[in-house]
Amino acid sequence: MSAPQRTRADRWFRVQHRAAPYLFVAPFVLLFLTFGLWPIVKSLSLSMYATSGPKDQVFVGAANFRFLLGDPDFRVAAANTAVFAFWSVFVQLPLALGLALLLSRSWLRGREFLRLVFFSPNLLGQVFVGVLFSVLFVPQYGLLNNALHGLTEPLHRYLSFIPVVELDTKWLANPALVMPALVLTSLWMYVGFNMIYFLAALQAVDQDLYEAATVDGANGLQQFIAVTLPGIRPVAVFVLITSTIGSFQLFELPYIMLGNGPGPNKAGLTIVMYLYQMGFVTGDLGYASAVGWTLALGLLVISLAQMRITGAFRSNTE
Amino acid sequence: MNRSIGFPYGTAALLVLALALASGVWLAAHPVRSATADLTMWTFANTHYNAYKAAVPSFEKAHPGVHVDVQLVSGTAVTSRLQAAFWADLDVPDMVEVEISSAAAFFRGPLEHVGFLDLTDRIHRAGLWDGMVQARFAPYTSRGRIFGLPHDVHPVQLAYRRDIVERLGVDVDKIETWDDFVAVGRRITVPNKRYMLEMPDTEASRLEMCLFQRGGGYFDKEGRCRFDDEVGVQTMLWYVPLVAGPRRIGGDLGGGQILTKAIEDGYLLFLAAPDWRTMSFEMDVPRVSGKMALMPLPAVKRGGPRTSTWGGTMLAITRRSPHPELAWEFAKHLYLNPAELAERFRGTNIIPALRSAWRQPAFSEPRPYWSNQRLGDSYALLAPQTPYQYASPFVSTAKGKLSEALVACVQRYRTRGPDGFEPFVRRQLRGSAGELRRLMSRSPFL
Repeated sequence: MSAPQRTRADRWFRVQHRAAPYLFVAPFVLLFLTFGLWPIVKSLSLSMYATSGPKDQVFVGAANFRFLLGDPDFRVAAANTAVFAFWSVFVQLPLALGLALLLSRSWLRGREFLRLVFFSPNLLGQVFVGVLFSVLFVPQYGLLNNALHGLTEPLHRYLSFIPVVELDTKWLANPALVMPALVLTSLWMYVGFNMIYFLAALQAVDQDLYEAATVDGANGLQQFIAVTLPGIRPVAVFVLITSTIGSFQLFELPYIMLGNGPGPNKAGLTIVMYLYQMGFVTGDLGYASAVGWTLALGLLVISLAQMRITGAFRSNTE
Repeated sequence: MNRSIGFPYGTAALLVLALALASGVWLAAHPVRSATADLTMWTFANTHYNAYKAAVPSFEKAHPGVHVDVQLVSGTAVTSRLQAAFWADLDVPDMVEVEISSAAAFFRGPLEHVGFLDLTDRIHRAGLWDGMVQARFAPYTSRGRIFGLPHDVHPVQLAYRRDIVERLGVDVDKIETWDDFVAVGRRITVPNKRYMLEMPDTEASRLEMCLFQRGGGYFDKEGRCRFDDEVGVQTMLWYVPLVAGPRRIGGDLGGGQILTKAIEDGYLLFLAAPDWRTMSFEMDVPRVSGKMALMPLPAVKRGGPRTSTWGGTMLAITRRSPHPELAWEFAKHLYLNPAELAERFRGTNIIPALRSAWRQPAFSEPRPYWSNQRLGDSYALLAPQTPYQYASPFVSTAKGKLSEALVACVQRYRTRGPDGFEPFVRRQLRGSAGELRRLMSRSPFL
């Protein structure tokens, strides 16, 4: 190759070298700007309009947010979502961790099969699970009522303080039972999923630490508190935050199980369901955007609080 | 890395690439055929779809060179896809059937932005205002303009298990008013075993039916919320003790297979039956064929109307249709041809809004499933009494608010009985209606 040709090739190589990173990230950046950032900016702008679909808009400033603060339906939706998130976090995660601890024991036979069994509900998808459980919860002829009735009726004869579960108990039509039904369904679906995270975290805990703790005379509980929990802390924080965010985004399960509505007395109305109703049933995209932004800000605050409480901001070397 | 294959990113990546290439080639070889129809129509009900498909050849024969494409689209999808298409100025069908509870949502915003063609003048010019049951235009009217042609009337009767009811010594001919009905119900209801009437205590579809029968409703003619008026209060006061408390006669287990079992087992004896629901019973509960019968709804007061209404469908022409006149011709072909309407009645049990069609022999045929009663005649007799129900874009929210009030009243009645119930009902309805009015007042477009 002659010298001018080499120079041209070198220049072309330098141009490629400089442009390559930008070209590699360009597809993502373009997609993100179009389908990520632009909708976010647009929804922030929309939240300041009263709308009837996207064509009819009137600027109302912060009126949507002011209305939202006094909106009884939004308050119910927020309370329901918070209750669901509370039970999801404080029942689901300990159960998932307990299962992970059990299924990580080397003496347990068939643990690979059990891992698959506990994880498998997650393969089905929320819509399918919603349909499945709405059949299980059916009054009079449903599997759950028949099982509980068969169990509690004989027990009640001997232990009168145990109430009999009636066959016509309406899990999805009784405001007091809607949330337990949703939590139960979600437990069935997600305990196994979170268990996988904890299993992976448990396998990463340094086994030497357990041996050292045993030598120091620590019992099982002490080992769990002093070795296991600190060892799985990063994963636990991750699971805690993603579970909380997932719980606050609850939509499909109640939507399917409660027949496309909020359930009796709005007992199954969640924030995202309310957002959907406002945006796509009532057609007020502006108010729906305000609901969405409020949810996003609320989640940000909750996540930051969780990270602070769990010490996620501290480095591992502290 | 599998060196024998020689692909630098591994076998999995190679397989993905091969799949992508193969599917791309297949798609290129099988392009989606572009629409060639002159008219496209969406309907959400399978029975409608089959009937309209059967009606297409005669229309195409009468209009040479015209091709009509009728498509079956799920009810939820009709609403959401159509709404999205209107909002985004995308392709919409020329004609679409919309369910009554979704229809008014499309009337939101300035009249000129409604996605449907204003049919008011066409309806008057064609004499349909007088030829159809006028009450059925009300749900499809906004600010005095009619945007849909009513597909049906949907008067309500009571369907009942004739065999069991007769065995229990009940003579339905002697039941004229709701008081008569409730008295019988209190006698033959056995809690948790057998209920006189299917009456939900958590959603307001049957309460709404009773409200309409009493002349009430969600909205008045001007679209103002009214379900907390005196009619609403009295209806709620009457309804709740029938579904709650020790003297209840109403039960409800939900729909689908459970309802089938409940009817087969005689758990529910009477069920509200608009004409469309009789076909559902025939299809879903075939085992009770010949054991079912129909009776008019009991009147609120002796001599009062013996029916109400539940459900409905309108046919609309989209404003962006390039062939509105052809679409109107097809609409008339589907909805105004007595012979075809009669044939369709045989397949759906739905009596059309066009009154002259009811004289067709099909409406007088005895139906074995219904103990050989003349199903069509029985509904046609009641159809002119069908009450008005006025529309508002907020109707689905209103239904939710009334359901909330019902649940609250049922809970209150269950725990504290009739003491202080009336003031509670008034307060509850006022509160629910107030929330709706507050929402409505936010909209600058109504």
